[in-house]
Amino acid sequence: MMPGREFFTRRYETMGWNYKNVEPRQAIRVNLINTGKATDIVRRLLSLGIQLEKIPFLENGYWICKSKFSVGSTTEYLLGLYSIQEAAAQIPATLFAETEDKTVLDACAAPGGKTVQLADLMQNTGAIVALDVKRQRLVALSNQLERCCVKNAVVYLLDARNASRLNLGFDYALLDMPCSGNFTMDKNWFNRRTIEDVERNAALQREILTEAVKVVRDGGEIVYSTCSLEPEEDEFNIDWAVRNLGLSVEEVNCYGQEGLTEVFDKRLDNSIKNCRRIWPRQTQGFFVCKLRRSRTND
Amino acid sequence: MIETINNFVSRFETSINLDENSLLKKQNRLFLVDENLKRLASKDFFYAGTCLGKTEDGEFFPSFSLLRMIAERKANKVVVDEKTEWLFICGRDIFKQGVIRLQGSRRKGDYTLVLNRRRECLGFGKILFDLSGEREGAVISNIFDLGDFLRRER
Repeated sequence: MMPGREFFTRRYETMGWNYKNVEPRQAIRVNLINTGKATDIVRRLLSLGIQLEKIPFLENGYWICKSKFSVGSTTEYLLGLYSIQEAAAQIPATLFAETEDKTVLDACAAPGGKTVQLADLMQNTGAIVALDVKRQRLVALSNQLERCCVKNAVVYLLDARNASRLNLGFDYALLDMPCSGNFTMDKNWFNRRTIEDVERNAALQREILTEAVKVVRDGGEIVYSTCSLEPEEDEFNIDWAVRNLGLSVEEVNCYGQEGLTEVFDKRLDNSIKNCRRIWPRQTQGFFVCKLRRSRTND
Repeated sequence: MIETINNFVSRFETSINLDENSLLKKQNRLFLVDENLKRLASKDFFYAGTCLGKTEDGEFFPSFSLLRMIAERKANKVVVDEKTEWLFICGRDIFKQGVIRLQGSRRKGDYTLVLNRRRECLGFGKILFDLSGEREGAVISNIFDLGDFLRRER
């Protein structure tokens, strides 16, 4: 066993999960705004020989059971009738309350899977301001928006840590954070990652959270997600945000286990249990929570 | 640029009404936005609302959004069978036997949208030979098809 693997898997055991190598199932999400009914696209794909299975915890998500060819090259995909989106990654955008006519910040938007999902949930009303820090990734994001007929997004080449430079106020912010990732999406993850990487990413995430609080209106919602299993990027950061940014953790009704409130001998705020931690099984590893900006923040 | 778009659209023997106030230009690309998005799009934006197309060396390249807008109108269109649909998306020209329905111009040199049996827009092409006559081989050349979404990311 590589030292990196041993180090991290021991941590997972301490958190109550025994490491298993897992390959997440490929999933799609139906873009209702372009299809009308999810069952129509399921039938269409079945006629092409693509067998789908409904993902029980998602409204419009399906696992690919069998396909003779890439689901990323069908006419239906190119027409934007569905998007390829990992199952756990479909959760964050669904956690906002009413989305129609809202102004939403998608702070780390590329390659745009969640931006398209937001537009779908918003039925192309209101506005999404989508940011990313790399121009090449914005090209991919723009292609997704065009393919999926998204009409309500404005995209900027901007570091999320500078979001307040836009001088805009938002009802909601989606912070799908740059993170250390997890071993299910990268076979070399254990060899590549160190605890220093995790801490560096956690610090970056705290900077983005701090900036989001500046631009979200009083009482507004922030959905925070990572595909990291490391508590420094998950529960510890949310605990920090509760204590330092005046954010509260809202209860959510979604797939996943309660967030950990005691990790590595640290006792965290009890509201952290409202977060959702998803250990890899049929999905990748994931962490998500919904925060509310208090009405007293400046 | 609005004139460029109107000229392009007219090649399908139709027209669309674009309000100058709803258009934003960014370098060589043109975007259609509503009032709300216009307020949110400062001069530094990268993409906004619906991209209508771009100009390169004086030539206009439409977006798929613009083609979809044209497809909603009475315009030059051909409907193709499933095999031709796939070949067209792969960048191939269209043979006469793959065309199952025609609307609008059949004249050589005109542009025509290419739709599948469900009337979904797959792209557009240029009529190579009068579509009224019998002809072997390609009759519509592929100018732009949905497969571009895959090719542009390579």
